Amino acid sequence: MPPEVSRRSFLKLAAATGAAALAGCKPAARHLIPYVIPDENVIPGVPSFYATSCNECPAGCGVVARVREGRVIKLEGNPADPIGAGALCARGQAALQGLYHPDRLQRPHLRGADGLINPIGWEDAMARFAKALAQAAAEGADRIAFIGPPMGPAYEMIVNDWLGAFNSRMRLAYRALDDAPGRAAMQFCFGTEFKPLYHIDRARVLLALGADFLETWESPVELARQFAAFRNPTKEDGKTRFGLAWYVGPRMSLTAARCDQWFACRPRWEAAVALAMLRVIIDQGLARPGAGVDPDAMRKFAAAYDVGAIATKSGVSAAAIERMAREFARADGALAIAGTDDDAAHVAAWMLNAATGNLGKTVSFTQPPHVQPSGVQRDAMLEAMRAGSIKVAVIAEANPQFSMPAQTRFAQALSKVPTVVWCGTVPDETAALAHLLLPADHWLEAWGDSAPRPGVSGLRQPTMTRVVYSRALGDILLDAARAAAPREHLPRYEDAQQAVRASWAERFNGAGATANFDDFWDQSLRQGGRFTPPPVAEARLAPGVFVHPLALPEVPPAPALTLVAYPHIFWYDGRGADKPWLQEIPEPVNQIVWDSWAEIHPDTARRLELAENDVVRLSSAAGAIEVPVHITPGVHRDAIAVPLGQGHTSYGRYARDRGVNPWRVLPPDRLTAPVAAGRTGMRRELISPLFSPDMRDRPIVETMSLEDFQKGIEPKPWEEPYPEPYETYPPVNYPVHQWGMTIDLNACTGCSACVAACYAENNVPFVGKELVAQGRIMSWIRIERYIPQTTDAPALLMMPMLCQQCSHAPCEPVCPVFAAVHSNEGLNLQVYNRCIGTRYCENNCPYKVRRFNWYKPQWPPPLDLQLNPDVTVRGAGVMEKCTFCVQRIRAAEVQAKLEDRAVRDGDIVPACAQACPARAISFGDMKDKGSAMMKRRADHQVRTYQALKPLNTLPAITYLRQVYRPREEV
Amino acid sequence: MAAVPQPDFREIDRQVMRTLEWPGWKYWLWVAALFLIVVWGAACWTRQIYEGLGVTGLRQPNMWAVYITNFVFWVGIAHSGTLISAILFLFRSRWRTAVYRLAETMTAFAVITAGLFPLIHLGRVWFFYWLLPYPNQRWLQPDFRSPLVWDAFAVSTYLTVSILFLFMGLIPDVATARDESAGWRKVFYSIVSLGWQGSEEQWRHFAGVYLLLAGLATPLVISVHSVVSWDFAMAQLPGWHSTIFAPYFVAGAIFSGCALVLTLIIPIRRMLELEELITPWHIDNLARIVLFTSLIVTYSYACESFMVWYAKDPFETATFQMRYFGHYGYLFWIMVFCNCVVPLTIFSPRVRRNLKALWVVSIFVNIGMWLERFVIIAGSLATNFVPSQWGFFVPSVTEISITAASFAWFLMLFSLFTRFLPIVSMTELKEGLRWLRQALRKESAEAA
Repeated sequence: MPPEVSRRSFLKLAAATGAAALAGCKPAARHLIPYVIPDENVIPGVPSFYATSCNECPAGCGVVARVREGRVIKLEGNPADPIGAGALCARGQAALQGLYHPDRLQRPHLRGADGLINPIGWEDAMARFAKALAQAAAEGADRIAFIGPPMGPAYEMIVNDWLGAFNSRMRLAYRALDDAPGRAAMQFCFGTEFKPLYHIDRARVLLALGADFLETWESPVELARQFAAFRNPTKEDGKTRFGLAWYVGPRMSLTAARCDQWFACRPRWEAAVALAMLRVIIDQGLARPGAGVDPDAMRKFAAAYDVGAIATKSGVSAAAIERMAREFARADGALAIAGTDDDAAHVAAWMLNAATGNLGKTVSFTQPPHVQPSGVQRDAMLEAMRAGSIKVAVIAEANPQFSMPAQTRFAQALSKVPTVVWCGTVPDETAALAHLLLPADHWLEAWGDSAPRPGVSGLRQPTMTRVVYSRALGDILLDAARAAAPREHLPRYEDAQQAVRASWAERFNGAGATANFDDFWDQSLRQGGRFTPPPVAEARLAPGVFVHPLALPEVPPAPALTLVAYPHIFWYDGRGADKPWLQEIPEPVNQIVWDSWAEIHPDTARRLELAENDVVRLSSAAGAIEVPVHITPGVHRDAIAVPLGQGHTSYGRYARDRGVNPWRVLPPDRLTAPVAAGRTGMRRELISPLFSPDMRDRPIVETMSLEDFQKGIEPKPWEEPYPEPYETYPPVNYPVHQWGMTIDLNACTGCSACVAACYAENNVPFVGKELVAQGRIMSWIRIERYIPQTTDAPALLMMPMLCQQCSHAPCEPVCPVFAAVHSNEGLNLQVYNRCIGTRYCENNCPYKVRRFNWYKPQWPPPLDLQLNPDVTVRGAGVMEKCTFCVQRIRAAEVQAKLEDRAVRDGDIVPACAQACPARAISFGDMKDKGSAMMKRRADHQVRTYQALKPLNTLPAITYLRQVYRPREEV
Repeated sequence: MAAVPQPDFREIDRQVMRTLEWPGWKYWLWVAALFLIVVWGAACWTRQIYEGLGVTGLRQPNMWAVYITNFVFWVGIAHSGTLISAILFLFRSRWRTAVYRLAETMTAFAVITAGLFPLIHLGRVWFFYWLLPYPNQRWLQPDFRSPLVWDAFAVSTYLTVSILFLFMGLIPDVATARDESAGWRKVFYSIVSLGWQGSEEQWRHFAGVYLLLAGLATPLVISVHSVVSWDFAMAQLPGWHSTIFAPYFVAGAIFSGCALVLTLIIPIRRMLELEELITPWHIDNLARIVLFTSLIVTYSYACESFMVWYAKDPFETATFQMRYFGHYGYLFWIMVFCNCVVPLTIFSPRVRRNLKALWVVSIFVNIGMWLERFVIIAGSLATNFVPSQWGFFVPSVTEISITAASFAWFLMLFSLFTRFLPIVSMTELKEGLRWLRQALRKESAEAA
C-alpha cells in the first residue's frame, strides 16, 4: 500500500531519543505551551508522531500516536507493522479514553482500617511497598506473587528478574480470555505449542467453528484484512473468485453474519460438526492428507462419527454437513478455524485442515514466541494464597476479581494475602480488594515492548508526559526491589526504559541488528519495532492424534438451556467497558448500547414467556445473573448468549453498575454453562440508536447475488429511472478537486472502527445512555444494520452511513443563513459559526446524517485533553455532520502548496478510511480518474451504486454492492 | 312577543362604550392567571435557551415538532381576520361589520404569537436577526432559496399589514371613545385616534386608505400561508413534498381561524352584553365559512391520499400508511373526526343557530387543526427515507408549558384589548345599521 507508507516520512518527526526527555513524574501540563522556551519537539500546530504498539488486546497491532502540543490526540495504525498494516480497530482507537480517563487513580492510595482508601505520597507508598516486600522475602522463598497478563519480552524479563530478586517463582500470567483450549489442541495435535499464522486470503473456503475472527478472536484487524481479500469478488479468465465462508456456532456473531451462511449449532457441538465433515470427506474419498497423516488411522477414527446423529443433535443438517465437507475438500485452499472454549473443536479444525492438505498452505506455523511467561498455573497460585504462603501479591494490568469465575473464589483467596498491591490505571474490582493502590502509567505513557508473534517485535515508548501522578510499572517494581531486595540479586538495569533497551540489545545484537546498536535502536523506535518475515516451522500432525476418538458432549434433555458468554467486540474481556466511546458505539449485530443483554431465540422466549426487554434470571451452579432479554433468531434455540465485559461494580463512572458479568455464573475455563432461565417480572429497556431492522426494500444497502455478479448483470433499478431531471440551477463547477469516497460493502465487516476513529478525530461528543434513548446520539458515521426477512440476501445488511456530500445537497438550499454551503471541492460544508439551529437541513437530509447539539457537549476532564485542536468543538444549538475530515484535506493542500506541487492521490486519508481494518473505504478526487478511489469504482463497475439514488442527490459516495450467495433456511 | 331591538347610532355607541368601563375583579383574576402562565412559559424558554434544546422532546429525526406546529397553527389562526376584514370588505359582505374587529384583533395577536415560535425553536435564538437581510461588513445575506427566509418576510409583512389595518379601522372608534371618556383614558384615546375629527376630508382619506389596505391585505391571505406551507412542500420529505400544500394550507388556515373566531365571539358576546350587535345571523355566517372550508380541507385530505395512491411512490406510500395506521395513526383519525366529521353538523340549521353547539364544534376544529399540523410535521419526519433512523417524538414539559403559555399570551393580549379598545366597530355597524336591524327583526321573528 504505497500511499499509506508515505506516512513514514512523518514518522521521521518522531525523534526517538527526544521521547526520553518526556520522562518525568509530573502530569501533563494543562496550560498552553510557552513560546519563549518551547519544549523539545513541540512546534505549535504541527503534530509529531510516535510509533508504539497497542496493548488493548493480545493481537499487538502497531500504533502511531499523533501528538499535538504535547498531547496524544489520535491513534492510528502503524503502516510498517505487518499485523495491523496501518489500520486500527475501535478498541485500539479508544485506548485514548483509557489514557485520559477521568477516574484514573491520580496518586497512590492506601486502604485504611476503615476499608476506605486515602491518598498518600509516592515516597510513603514505595516505603510501605518495600517494607512489605522485605518482610515477605525474609520469610522464605515464594512469598511474593505477581499476577499480570503476559506482557512482552522486556516486561517479562523485568518481572522475572524482580521475582528472582525476592527468590520467588509465583508468577501467574493471567489472561481473562485465555486461549488455553487452542494451545492444548496445538499441543495435542502437533506436540509443540506452535504459533499458527492464518492466511484466510490464501483460502477459497473458510470454516469458522465459533471463531469470531472479525471481532475478538486472535488478531481481528489482520484477519479482517485477509477476509476482505478473501471476499473480494474478482473475475479472472472468465472465472469468478469469491471466497466461500461458513460459520458454525451457537450465535450469529458479526463474523457469522459476514460469512455466507451461519449454521446455528448447539453449544459445544461445533467439534462434532467438523468431525462429521471429516467423516464425509473420508467416506467420499476426498481426503488429501498431508505429510504425517496416517490415512488408515484417520479412517478408523472418523468412522466413529455418525453424520445423521450429529446432524440431529447439533442442529446442523446432514445435507449441510455433506455439502460443506465436499466444498471444503475440493477447494484449492481451505481453512478451518476454531474459537470455542472446547479443545475438541480446535482439534477437529486441525484434523480437517490436515485431512485436506491445507497445513502449511492456508495456515503456517512458527516457533513459539521468544519469551513464554513462565510461572505457575492459576489453581496453584490460588492454592498458595489460600494456604497463606503468599505475603505480598502484586496485581498489575489484570482484573482477576472481575474475570475469574465465581467458583475459583479469587476474593477469598486474595483475602488471605496480607499485602495486596494493585498497579493500574482506572481502579477496578481487583483494586477494591487491594491494600496499596499504585497508579501505573498507561501504555501510551510508558516504555515496553510486545512480541505478538515471531517476526513481529513491537516497541512501546512514551508518547506524552504523564496525565496523572503515575509511574511506570517497571519503575515501581525496580525501585521497590532496590529498596528491599539484597543488592546482589538486583537486576543490572536501573529502570524500565533501560530494561527495554537491554532486552532488545540482548535479543537483536546478534541477530540481524546493525553494527551500531544505537542506530538500530533509534530506527526501531522510529518505525515502532522490528518487523521481519516470520520464521516458518514445519508442523506435522502427531501420530497419536487419531488413536482415540474425541468424546462428544451429552445433549441435555429438551428444555435445558446453555449460557453462551462471548467477548463483546468492544468491551472484550471487560477492559473496554470504561471507555465511553466503546459503550456508546452500538454493537454491530444487535445495535445495543450502554448495557448487557441476553440473546434468546423467539421460540425459546415464547416458551419462557419472555418479551423483549424483560429481565430474565439465569442461574447456574455458580450463581445467578439478571439481564434484559433481546429476542433474536440469531441464536440457537437451546442457547442464551450474553456478552462479556459489563457488570462492573467499579472501574470508573462509565463502567460501574451497568449490565451483568457472565463470569459470575460461568464455571472455570469455560464460556458456556448450563443455566436455568426464569422470569423476574422486571423490565429494563435496551437502548438502540437504530429504529427498524426492516429496510422495507428501500435502495439503501444494496446487494447482488453471486450469480448476477458472475453474469455481470447489474440489479434492476429500484425504480424506473426518471427522464433526464430538469435542473433549475446551473451544474456545480468544481475547478480543481471534487472529493469523493468509495465504500466496498463486501469488504466492510461492520466492525465500527471507522465510528470510533471519527469520534476521536472530529471531537464528536458521547452523550450517555439516556440521551441515546432520546434519539440524540452524535456519531457522524453510523453502521446501518438491517435484517432481511429472506434467505435470498446476506444475513445482515450493513453499511457505513455518513454524509454523502451530495452535489445536489437537499440540506443546502433550505438553510436560511448559508450555514450549509457547497464548497468548490464538492464538500457540503457546515459553518458552525453561522448556524442558528433551525434544523431544517436535517429535516431535508434523506440520509439522516446530520447531528444537532441539543446540549453543550461535555468531556469530563481530562478527557478534554484528547480533543483535536484542528477541529472546532461545537456548542449547543448548532448542527454538525461529517466533513470528510476537512481538516486533513486542508492540511494536505497546505502541505502540497508548501512543497509547490499538486495534491497527490493518497495524501488525504479521512479518519474512517484510515482506521478501516478491511480497507473498505477509499477516498480521493473524483476528477482524477486515475486515483485509487476512482479506479476502485471502475474495477467494480457492476457493483457500484449510490444510496437512495432515485432522489437525485448526486452523492459523492459510491458504494460497491455486497455480493452474496443465497443462504439456506436455518 | 318581545320587542324587537331597534338599535340606533346612540344605542350602538352606548353598548360598545359600555365594554370600555373599568373591569371587575373577575376580569383581573383571569388576566392575572393568564399572566402567570405566560411567566411560567417565559421561564421555560429561558431555561431552554440556557440549557439547550435538549430540554424539549425533539430528537433525531423529529427536528421539528410542537414549536413549528404551534407556529403554523397560530399563523393559520391569523388568516380568518384578514379574510373577514379585507376580502369580505372588498366583496361588500354585510355581516362582517359586527365581527371583523374581533377577527382582526385576533389576527394581529395570533401573528404576534406565531412570530414567537420561529424564535423559540431556534438553536441559537440570539442570532435570530441573521434571518433578515441587513447591511453588514461581511456582505452576508440570508439565502433567498430557503423557505425559512420567505417565511421571515411573509410573517413580518403580514404582521405589519394586519396591525396597520387593525389600527386604521380603530381610529374613528377610538375618537368616539375619546370624546366620551375622561382622565388617562382620554389621553390614551387622544393619542391613538391621531386627532380624528370626523371631518369629511378625513372620512374620504380614511375610506381610501382602508380600501388600499384591504387591497394589500387580500393577496397576503393567500400568500402568507402558501409560503408557510412551502416550508414543508419545498422539502423532499415524503408527506411534505406536495404541490397541493399551498391551497390546502390556506383553506385550513381560514377554517381554523374562523373556528377560533367562533370560539372567542360566542362567550365574549355574552360577557360584554353585545347580543344586540353581534347577532346569531353574524355567527351563522361565520359557521357557514367554517363548514365550507371544512369541506375544502376534507377534499384536500382525500386528494392528498389519492395522489399518493395514484403516484405509487413507495416512500410516500409508506409514509401515508404510517400516517393512517402507524405510531401517530390515532392522532390522524382524531384529526379526521374533528376536521371532517364534526363540522358536517353545521349543515343543520339547528346546530348553526345553537351557540353552545357551535362553540363545541369550534373547539373540535381548533383541536383538529392543531393535530393536522402535528401529524404532518412530526408524523412525516418520524417515518423518513431511512427506516433505521425513524423515531417518534414525545413532547416534554417545556414544550407543553410553552404551548400553554402561547395560548395564555394570546388570550391575555386579547382580553386586554377587549376592555380597553372597542372590540366591535361602531363605525361600520352604523354604516350597516339597516342590515343589523333586518337581522334583529328576522331573529325575533324566528324566535317567535
